[in-house]
Amino acid sequence: MASFSVQKPRKRNKEKAYNSVLNYQPHNTLKVLGRRDLTESAYVLRLERKNIKFMAGQHISLGKEDDNDTREYSLYSGENDDYLEVLIKEVEDGLVSKHLKHSKAGDLVKFDGPVGYFLINEEDRKLKKFLFIASGTGIAPFHSFMRSYPDLDFKILHGVRYKREAYERDDYHEDKIILCTSRDETGDYHGRVTDYLKENPVDKNTQVYLCGNCEMIHDAYDILLDQGLPADNLHSEVYF
Amino acid sequence: MMNKKIAFRTLGCRLNQYETDAIASSFHKHQYEIVDFEQDADVYVINTCTVTNQGDQKSRQEINKALKKGKDPVVLVTGCMVNNYKEKLDNFNGVSYFIENSHKKSIFNVIDAHYKGETLSPADLQPDIFGFEPAEKTFHTRSMIKIQDGCDNFCTFCIVPKVRGRATSRPVEDIKDNIRKVLDFGYKEVVMTGVNIGRYNFEGTNFEQLVEEILEIPGDFRVRISSIEPEGFGDRLFKLFQHPKLTPHLHLCLQSGSDKILLKMRRMYNLKTFLGMTEKLKSRYPDFNLTTDIIVGFPGESEEEFQKSCKVARDVGFSHIHTFKYSVRNGTRAARMDEQIPEKIKNERSRIIREISIENKLKYQQSLIGQDQRVLVEKINSGGIARGYGEHYVPLEFKTNLKETNQFADVRPYDIRKGKNPILLGRQL
Repeated sequence: MASFSVQKPRKRNKEKAYNSVLNYQPHNTLKVLGRRDLTESAYVLRLERKNIKFMAGQHISLGKEDDNDTREYSLYSGENDDYLEVLIKEVEDGLVSKHLKHSKAGDLVKFDGPVGYFLINEEDRKLKKFLFIASGTGIAPFHSFMRSYPDLDFKILHGVRYKREAYERDDYHEDKIILCTSRDETGDYHGRVTDYLKENPVDKNTQVYLCGNCEMIHDAYDILLDQGLPADNLHSEVYF
Repeated sequence: MMNKKIAFRTLGCRLNQYETDAIASSFHKHQYEIVDFEQDADVYVINTCTVTNQGDQKSRQEINKALKKGKDPVVLVTGCMVNNYKEKLDNFNGVSYFIENSHKKSIFNVIDAHYKGETLSPADLQPDIFGFEPAEKTFHTRSMIKIQDGCDNFCTFCIVPKVRGRATSRPVEDIKDNIRKVLDFGYKEVVMTGVNIGRYNFEGTNFEQLVEEILEIPGDFRVRISSIEPEGFGDRLFKLFQHPKLTPHLHLCLQSGSDKILLKMRRMYNLKTFLGMTEKLKSRYPDFNLTTDIIVGFPGESEEEFQKSCKVARDVGFSHIHTFKYSVRNGTRAARMDEQIPEKIKNERSRIIREISIENKLKYQQSLIGQDQRVLVEKINSGGIARGYGEHYVPLEFKTNLKETNQFADVRPYDIRKGKNPILLGRQL
C-alpha cells in the first residue's frame, strides 16, 4: 500500500488563537405575534407557528434573540392551532421572562425545541381517565392537552393563591376544572391542591399528571401513593 | 517517507470512546501510526468532556500537555468542552483546530487537508453525528456501537443537552450493518452506546425492538446495554435478558435516593418506579448485576436526603457506584438554585458512597464464586495470566494457555483478590 503523501505543514502562528473549523450554527428564531396579559405578572406570548410540529405537553426554550440565556416554557396552545403560545409568569429579577414581557409584535425571539416526554399516548387518550394537577402556570400543558384532544376524559385541579390567577378559566368547561385557592375563599375549594387530594381520594385507575412547583408535586406524590395509586400512573413536569 | 504519528486522549463517556475509536481507525486506515499519548507525535487529538468540573480540568490538562510537546505538533481539540465553551476557546493559544461534536466525523479530513497545506472551513464539512465508519482497530476489546446521540430530558444538573444537542436516533439498518461489520472484523462483544439510549426511536422502532433485532443477528457474540436512564422503556426489555446473547448487566442511573431531590433534578422517575425496575430484574435474574451513578451534594441535598441515597445504594446492592460530586454547570437550571452544598460536605458524601460501593462490590463478587463465567479475554501477560470480563461485567483473572486475546474462555471463580479494585480469581474450565 502506498504511503500517505503529505506536504510540509504550514507554519502555525503561535500568537493566533486558533485555526478553527468551529461550526457556529445560527440559532432559530420565532416572530412574536402578540401578548395577552392575564394578571400583573402572568401573560400569554403568541408566536408564529412556522412549520413546527409538537405534541401537547412538550416545551420550548425561549430567550433574547442575541443572548445565550434561555428558559423552558410548556406550550399552552393546541397541536392544531396555527400559532404557538406559552404561558409565562414574570419572575422578579428574571432575565428572560422580563425581556419577553416587553417584546412587541414583530420582534424575534431565540427558540429551541419543542422537546419533552410529558405526553399522553394515543391509546391512553381514548381509554383512560385523567386527573391533571397544576400549581400556578403549571396549567399550561393541560390547556394544550384540552385544546388538542377534545374527547379526552379529564379533570383539572388547579392550585393558585387567588381566583384572579385562574388563567383564562373560561376556556375550560366548568365541570372540568376545580380551582383551589389557598389565600382566600373565592375558588371552588379553599385550600391547597394537596388538601383537596387528602379529602377527595383519587381512583386507582386514574392517570395523574402533575405540573408545577417541586413541593406541590412531591407532596401530591406522597398522598397519591398512600391512596394506592401505582407509581407508574404518576407523571410529572417540574417548574422552577 | 515516514508515516505520521498520531496520539489520542479520550475523556469521559463511552460515546467519546466510540468516536475516538472510529476516528483513530480512519487514521490507521490511511497509514498513520497510532502512538501512546505520552510519546512524541505529529498530531494530538484530545476528545474532551465537560460534564463535570473535573471533566473540564482533566481536558484542559491534556490539552496543555499536548501543547508542551516539543516538535510543534498539530493539536486538535474536539468533544463536549468545545461545544460548551466555544466562545471562550481562545484561551488555548496554540491549539490548531477546535472541532464541534457535529463535525467529529470529519477530523481525518481536517488533518489530511492540513498536511496538504489547506485549511477547511465549516462550509467544507457536513455535520454528521452518525457518519463514522465501523472501526476495525480500536483501543478496546469490545466494540462500542453508537445508536443514538443527544438528549431532550434537560435534567437540571446536566449540560449534555446543550453540548450534544437534541435526541436523535440512528437508523436501524445502519446500526445492524455496523454490528455485522465489526463482527466480521472479529469483535465478540458489542456495547450499545449513546447519550440516552432508552429513548431510542427510529421511525417507530423503539429501544426494546432494536435490541430484539440486534439479538437476532447471527454469530457468536454478546450484547451489552451498559448505561441507561430508568425511563423510556417498558417491561419487554427485562424479558429480553433471557436471551443468551444479552449480558445480565445494566448501569441504571439512579442519581439520588430522595424523591425530593429527583424532582429538583427533573428526573423522569420516582424512587418507587426505580425500585420497581430493580426488583423485577433481581426477582427474574437473581445474579443480575446492577451498577449505577449517584450525584452527591446536589443543591439543597440535606443529610437526611443523602442518607436516602445511601440506603438505596445498600438495599439494591449496586456492585459499582460511579459517584459524582455535583458541580455547577453554567446554563443549567441547577446552577441558579439556592442552597449550593459546600465542597467539604460533597467530599465526605462522596467518600461514604465509594465505601458502600466497595462493600457492595465484594458482596456481589462473593456471590459469583463457583458460578461459571464466560470471560472475554482482554489481556494475557507473559506468565500466562489472563484478564477479562465475564458476562456479568465483573473482572476475572485466571491462568491460561491461550495465546491471543479477544476469545471467550469459560472460567470458574474460586476466590477474590481484595484491594482498591477487587478482582475475581478463577480457573479456566
